[in-house]
Amino acid sequence: MENNSDSVLEMYLYETNTLLEQLDNIMLSAEQADTLSEDDVNEIFRIMHTLKGSAAMMEFEPLMTIAHRIEDLFYLIREKTMEVVPEQDRPQLFDLLFKSIDYFRNEVSKIENGEPLSNNIDNFLNTINMFIDKINGEAAAAQAQAGAQPAQAAPAAEASHSDANNRYSLRVFLDEGCGMENLRAFMAVNDVKDQCLNDFTYEPEGLENDPSLSESIAENGFVMHFSTDDDRKQAIHVVSGLGFIKTYQEIDEEPAAETPAAPAAPASEPAKAEHAAESAAPAAKKKAEPAAESAKADTSNTQNPAHHQIKQSLISVNLSKLDQLMAVVGEIVITEAMVTASPDLRGIDAAKLDNFNKSARQLRKLTDELQDISMSLRMVPVSGTFQKMRRIVRDMGQKLGRRANLTIIGEDTEIDKTIVDAISDPIMHIVRNSMDHGIEPNEEMRIAAGKNPEGEIILSAQNTGSEVIIRIEDDGQGVDSDAVLRKAIKQGIANPDTDYSRREILNFLMMPGFSTNTEVTEFSGRGVGMDVVKKNIESVGGIVLMTSEFGKGTCTTLKIPLTTAIMDGMEVAVGDSIFTIPLQNIRQSFNASESDIIHDAMQGEMISKMDNFYPVVRLHELYGLEPKASKTDDGIFVWVETSENSYCLFVDELLGEQQVVIKPLPTYLNSFGIKEAGIVGCTILGDGNISLILDVASLLTSNTGFAGY
Amino acid sequence: MSDENMLFATEEKQAAELDKKELNETVTKKYLTFQTDNLMFGIEAESVIEIITNYPVTRIPMVPDYVRGIINLRGQTIPIIDMRLRLSLMPIDTDCIIVLNVNDMQIGILVDTVNQIIDIPVETILPMPAHNAQKYVSGMCAMPDGSGTMLVLDCPLLLQS
Repeated sequence: MENNSDSVLEMYLYETNTLLEQLDNIMLSAEQADTLSEDDVNEIFRIMHTLKGSAAMMEFEPLMTIAHRIEDLFYLIREKTMEVVPEQDRPQLFDLLFKSIDYFRNEVSKIENGEPLSNNIDNFLNTINMFIDKINGEAAAAQAQAGAQPAQAAPAAEASHSDANNRYSLRVFLDEGCGMENLRAFMAVNDVKDQCLNDFTYEPEGLENDPSLSESIAENGFVMHFSTDDDRKQAIHVVSGLGFIKTYQEIDEEPAAETPAAPAAPASEPAKAEHAAESAAPAAKKKAEPAAESAKADTSNTQNPAHHQIKQSLISVNLSKLDQLMAVVGEIVITEAMVTASPDLRGIDAAKLDNFNKSARQLRKLTDELQDISMSLRMVPVSGTFQKMRRIVRDMGQKLGRRANLTIIGEDTEIDKTIVDAISDPIMHIVRNSMDHGIEPNEEMRIAAGKNPEGEIILSAQNTGSEVIIRIEDDGQGVDSDAVLRKAIKQGIANPDTDYSRREILNFLMMPGFSTNTEVTEFSGRGVGMDVVKKNIESVGGIVLMTSEFGKGTCTTLKIPLTTAIMDGMEVAVGDSIFTIPLQNIRQSFNASESDIIHDAMQGEMISKMDNFYPVVRLHELYGLEPKASKTDDGIFVWVETSENSYCLFVDELLGEQQVVIKPLPTYLNSFGIKEAGIVGCTILGDGNISLILDVASLLTSNTGFAGY
Repeated sequence: MSDENMLFATEEKQAAELDKKELNETVTKKYLTFQTDNLMFGIEAESVIEIITNYPVTRIPMVPDYVRGIINLRGQTIPIIDMRLRLSLMPIDTDCIIVLNVNDMQIGILVDTVNQIIDIPVETILPMPAHNAQKYVSGMCAMPDGSGTMLVLDCPLLLQS
């Protein structure tokens, strides 16, 4: 049972979060346009309605109350259109909505963490109520105006019709909020026509194809003019049978000079009208309710048919199920290789294996497809993460009084779901840094620097086939490398006697400890939590690169593997052992002779590549293995590189490139600290053997105790 | 026979059966015995998953020598501990692995040979004399068939480094 209620809660959280994201997007684009389109208003109304409903179902009282009030607010706006909110009040409305989004987010995260909801919503509720009152006040004024106009128009119109003998009129009011009032009115008119009557007129005219009439019909109803009282009675009969009619009113035009019974008629007519209205109202209301509901559903259906279809073709699946699927598919890939390359097949005449080989090829094709599909299941576009940044840029811009424009490129790029989750915080951090330290504090500074007064932040994603490159660029002040270096030396991270390259200096920003200094914001340098950014990105196998030009801006590049579960690796052999080096870390492999090796005073070895010296790590020495190639000439060097170091690994031979499924090492082995020794996992090769996956970054650290170069 | 008798007989039978059950449950335990060098060890059969032979062991660098490496058991990687090396004995060439479940962790121990599964009365298992306590042994008992003495292996202790 508990499981069950958990899944209900999970559904609630999922739904609410999705809706909030949707709402956020609507509001951000609305704020740009400085108005809400009719669709937006309807959408917000619908979202609030759903939020209210689901909160009520989960018995989250405060959430329900807030959603309810905002729903009320949008009910008003929907009824009276956006015009009801005057230009100068719109920022207030947008702020109110952003505040409510934040409120919901906050509360939802409390629910996620199992914390109690805050019941202190009175303040917020008051703000909403005040706004509603404000709108209401203006609306009332507007209504009075609008009401006055038809009132003037109506008698005139009626007067003109009285000439045409249609003296008996019927004013019909439609149900509030039923939507598409003009068409409904037209339907009513048609029904009356069908029932028997031809000899009548109605107004306003052009009901069926002028949606702009909806408004006035909703306000003032519409009028039918009949020539006789009997006709009108019949019409009343027809109209009161319709579901969406709220009430009606009989109006008699009695030209003063026409009948002597004139004084009596007006006296009795109003009474009759009132009576009729009263008796008709409850019946009509009863029918109207369900009808209105279905009408609502109808309108929402027709308003966004595209949305509807997309939603229906999606299902949400628990991530753990996908993990399981990936694990099984990984096994199948390995097993397939084990079967087709089975040692038992050796020694069998190849001609006899014809059918086997055919089937094996087919099997390989299918397993490849299966792998691709199961991988793609886990892929989600980065757009969700990217869109969140709009909000951050907006909020920070307002707070800091800076204007910045966020351009998003390639938001359709897809990445593994777990990775998307892992990179969301780092990207947010970097964007914040761009806003806080990158973009100049005021426009004058930007103009003085010859830049557009509005700052520009570009967030882009690009799939290169093996990895995704996410780039966050700003055209702000850039990093003052001298200041960073001074700070680094002061903090003891940097050596005052060493000449550092610009890239190395930027790397200081990503060192833990550098960022904790609060004075870091004094100069244009970054560093607020950049070490965390780096750690998070590296935890999913990615790397962080920073480039910056002082005065021109900064660019942070995140290189992220498409998925953590499968990667391309180079198999290398050392003695009897096989190791996998991630392909993304390999720069080059080359042969060298003993004479190319340069020894330093500490018995360390170096080799010169491309005018630079790189340390040499002999894997067999490091791991105490018995190598097949003990001499430099027999083995091969693999030049590897990570974001923090670059060196050459000496191994016996290269076995080839292979896509491998990464498996964690047994937990028992972790107690021996082999992760620190540069082994992060293992993978099972096609022949059933195990290959150990090397972590190029920590390998050198474990070898030399420093992470230089 | 009257109904009463019948009832009585059944009850008695039930009681006897219960007694027997209790006897079984509390008094004997199944042990798997194996040989390492000249020592006979026993492990509770409950914690044994399976016995496998002829699996290639992949060496792992930077671990103590008694950790022989890992094996691929149907897609699962399982670390292997060499009993001989763990007891500081000379290693021999053997490929007999007992896969155990210790604290929800799968681990294989490399032994010379596996002997048998036997029921051992719990009360015959005695604590080790304090002054010559063997490593990783929680108790010992004489084999019921008189074939020698079984040392009861303490698996969690085995894993502690």
